[in-house]
Order: sequence, then structure tokens, then C-alpha cells
Amino acid sequence: MNKQTLFKSLQQQGVTRRGFMKYCTALTSLMALPPSMIPIVANALETAKRPSVIWLSFQECTGCTESLTRSHSPTVEGLIFDHISLDYHHTLQAASGDAAEHAREQAMKDNYGKYLVVVDGSIPLADPGYSTIAGISNLDMLNETVAGAAAVIAVGTCSAYGGLPHAAPNPTGAVSVSSLITDKPVINVPGCPPIPTVISGVLAHYLTFGSIPELDELGRPKVFYGQSIHDRCYRRPFYDKGLFAETFDDEGAKKGWCLYRLGCKGPMTYNACATLKWNQQTSWPVESGHGCLGCSEPNFWDAGSFYKALSIPDGDYAKAAGYAVAAGVALGAAAGFVNQKTKSAAVSQHSTVSVDDFAVNKDKK
Amino acid sequence: MSSEALADIKIQIDTPEYDSGNLHSILSEIKFALEQLLEQKKTHCIDLRAMPWSPGEEDKLEQYLGRGEISVELNALGKSTFYETRFSGIWIVTHYNQEDEIIGKLIEITTMPEMIFSQYEDIKESLENIQIQP
Repeated sequence: MNKQTLFKSLQQQGVTRRGFMKYCTALTSLMALPPSMIPIVANALETAKRPSVIWLSFQECTGCTESLTRSHSPTVEGLIFDHISLDYHHTLQAASGDAAEHAREQAMKDNYGKYLVVVDGSIPLADPGYSTIAGISNLDMLNETVAGAAAVIAVGTCSAYGGLPHAAPNPTGAVSVSSLITDKPVINVPGCPPIPTVISGVLAHYLTFGSIPELDELGRPKVFYGQSIHDRCYRRPFYDKGLFAETFDDEGAKKGWCLYRLGCKGPMTYNACATLKWNQQTSWPVESGHGCLGCSEPNFWDAGSFYKALSIPDGDYAKAAGYAVAAGVALGAAAGFVNQKTKSAAVSQHSTVSVDDFAVNKDKK
Repeated sequence: MSSEALADIKIQIDTPEYDSGNLHSILSEIKFALEQLLEQKKTHCIDLRAMPWSPGEEDKLEQYLGRGEISVELNALGKSTFYETRFSGIWIVTHYNQEDEIIGKLIEITTMPEMIFSQYEDIKESLENIQIQP
């Protein structure tokens, strides 16, 4: 099945050239490439082969799979049947027990050195018994499956950085994929869950170009994680003018002012929510009036209360901002620097969320 | 939920009182591309889904560009709509999938979007299939 090119298989299904070009247009947009790349994508897809994909789910909540199955462009059915040969996925496959494990082994044998491994969930090292599949520990299954893989895609914050299972006191000794796999390319696609179109966009990139996209220092594709939420936020002009919502129901909140003082983690979070948005591009957290939680960043769960501002607005930050008030970019950089420090402090103190946190800024007034 | 069902929810979007700068920059890009089309016959395309729109901003752009003389509907892997805005040479293209969800939205600065023309790959197939005696 996967010996046939995508273009040929679409042609056999009666898809016209216009249909194919439309598909390429949607795919180019999905990969966050400029429209001038459409002919190049079309050209690459005419010869692209469907890669075999083995999806491993470890210590996870299935939220990442839930997110992917809501990916609308193209649909997950399209993704599974046209783009990739999804040979193993607990939640989606019909086979179970020995038959399921056999499917994984067969796919590895048939496509040795060429298949993709997608992992969601962290791997427990404290005791392998915390998470097993068919009696095989997560660590053993990961090592065995990755041995013949071309690349590994760590989907979700759990597999990318350890995520919620890794949160203090980390009872299962949860670790990320990249801390265990060092001899294969590992692409981190963090988020809790990641944006569905980002998951399919990364898969589409591999399918189209047969290579992995350019990554940042945390192993994330730059095309989706290259800019902070804050840099792309439509509420940014309010931040630059010093107009902040102080509570969730004050005049500023109603007028759509910046949510920085209500704990928005946008300045230190790198993700594509501000442009790609959620639920068919309907909205995203900041647009719906709630600050960013920073779910695509390492240790976000331990970085203090979601409702505590990253740093006190009239403290260090205001000083740093004062020097850079004319230069928006420098301002963002200054905020990022101060906030990284605040985040580390919060991690070491492990501050917990309390009801008071919701009113913290109100009290200050 | 299809995009039409979402559009059925009656909500009024208050346009923010400030200027995010998005409209200014995109209209500048469009104007420059229109000059290039006229002088050098060079076409241009903008992916509207890559913009960090504020609520209501995209609608405002579409309202400003308005609708012109021609619109085309294509049915290939779901619907696609093409229409020229009230500014000649500026087209808005929307691609839907079979579930009627938007999978691509672009502004094309061209005399006619490429996809509207009959495609030579398809013409070749037509030639193979056409029968003199139906």
C-alpha cells in the first residue's frame, strides 16, 4: 500500500488536478509555509510515498489523540488513509491484544529504518510497572520501537518535557522522550494538547519533504513555535500602552485589555495559538478572555499559579520596560528575561494555587 | 460542528477601539502587489489564515474589499468559492473540505486565480475518455 505515491492514489480515487492543487494549497497553509510554496509542495507530493507511522501512548490522558482527531484540515481520516499508513495506535486501531502487537512488529520489520514513531505521554523510570502495554514496560517498548525509526515525534508536553506526570513530586519518575533517545532526530510538538493543525502540519512536513522541519533549541519546529504568544497577540497594543485588566470582570476585561496582570504567561510561551487559533479558527484562550497558561513550555505545571502575574508590574519589570518603551520588540525581550527568572523562582518554591490568587491583583489596588 | 452552524450562533462582535495595525499592513501589501500586477504582470497571494486577527478584524477587511462583478464556485474535494472584490485584480478564495469546514482562505492578486482555468492534466484525461458516439 505504501509503495504508491500520494498523487497516484488520489488520481485513482477520481480526484482532479484542481482537487489536488486545492489539497496542496490547504497543506501549504497547514505547514505555515507562504503561498508561493504551493507549486513546490505540489511537485514534492507528486512523488511522495506514504510513510508507515507507529503511535505509542505512554503516561498520557489521550488528550493529544483527541486533539488530532479534531484536526480539520485535512481531516484525520484523510490523514490516516491518504497521508500516512498508521500501522499501530491503541485508541484508533481495531485490533487488540496479540494482534495489535503483531501489527507493530510487522510494520517495524517491513519499514525498518524508514518508519516514523509518534509518542504521546511520558515514560516512568521509578518503577516500570507504573505503565505497561501488553506486559511490556514503556521504556522497553520505546527503545525497541525507536531502534528502526527514521525519526521520533514527541506529541504533547508529556512526551516533549515530562508534562503533568513530571510535575513535583513526580511520583513515577516521569521523563521526556528526548531525555532517553539521543541517537535519532526527536521533534518536540508540545502543548497540552498541541494545536491539532500543528500535529498534522508536522506530519505533513515529513510526508512532503521527507525531512524534519527546522527546530529551535528545545527541539520544536520553528515555523510553529518561533514566536511567543505575546509577540503575536492582538491584545499587544494594550500592553504597550500600559492598559491592563485587573480582574476578570472589570472595565478593562470588558474592553479586551491585556491580561498580563491576571497571570497571562504569553510573554514566555512559544506557540502558534494567536494565529492558528482553536476549534476551526474560532477563538483561542486570550480571545475568550483568559490568560495563556503556558502549556507548551517545560514545567508549566510547576511554574506557580496560573493567576499570578509573571512578575509584579511595578517591580523589576516596570524598570526594564521603562527603558524600552519605544521599542516593542525590546520590551517583549525584557519581559521575557524578567519572567524567566520569576518562573525559576516559582519552580523552586513550588507555589500552589489558592482562592486568594484570583483576587491577588484586586487586593493590590 | 460545521462552520455554517458556528456562524448561526447570534453574537455581536464589538470591534476593538484600538488599531492592531493588521489592516494597515495587509492593505499596504495588497496595494503594492496590485502595482506589481499592473506593471510587471506579477501575481501575488496572501494566506489569510496566517494572520493574528483580532475579533471582527477579518470581517472588516472583507467588508472594505466588498464584492465585484464575478464569482465562481468549484466542487472538488468539497466546495471552493472565488470572487473578485470591488477592486479589480483582487480576489478572495475560500476552500472548504467535504464537511464544509474552511481549510484555506487566501487573497489572490491576479487577473484570474489559476485554479479556475481548465487544467491540462484533466484535459488529457478528458481526451482519453470522450467518445464520438455517446
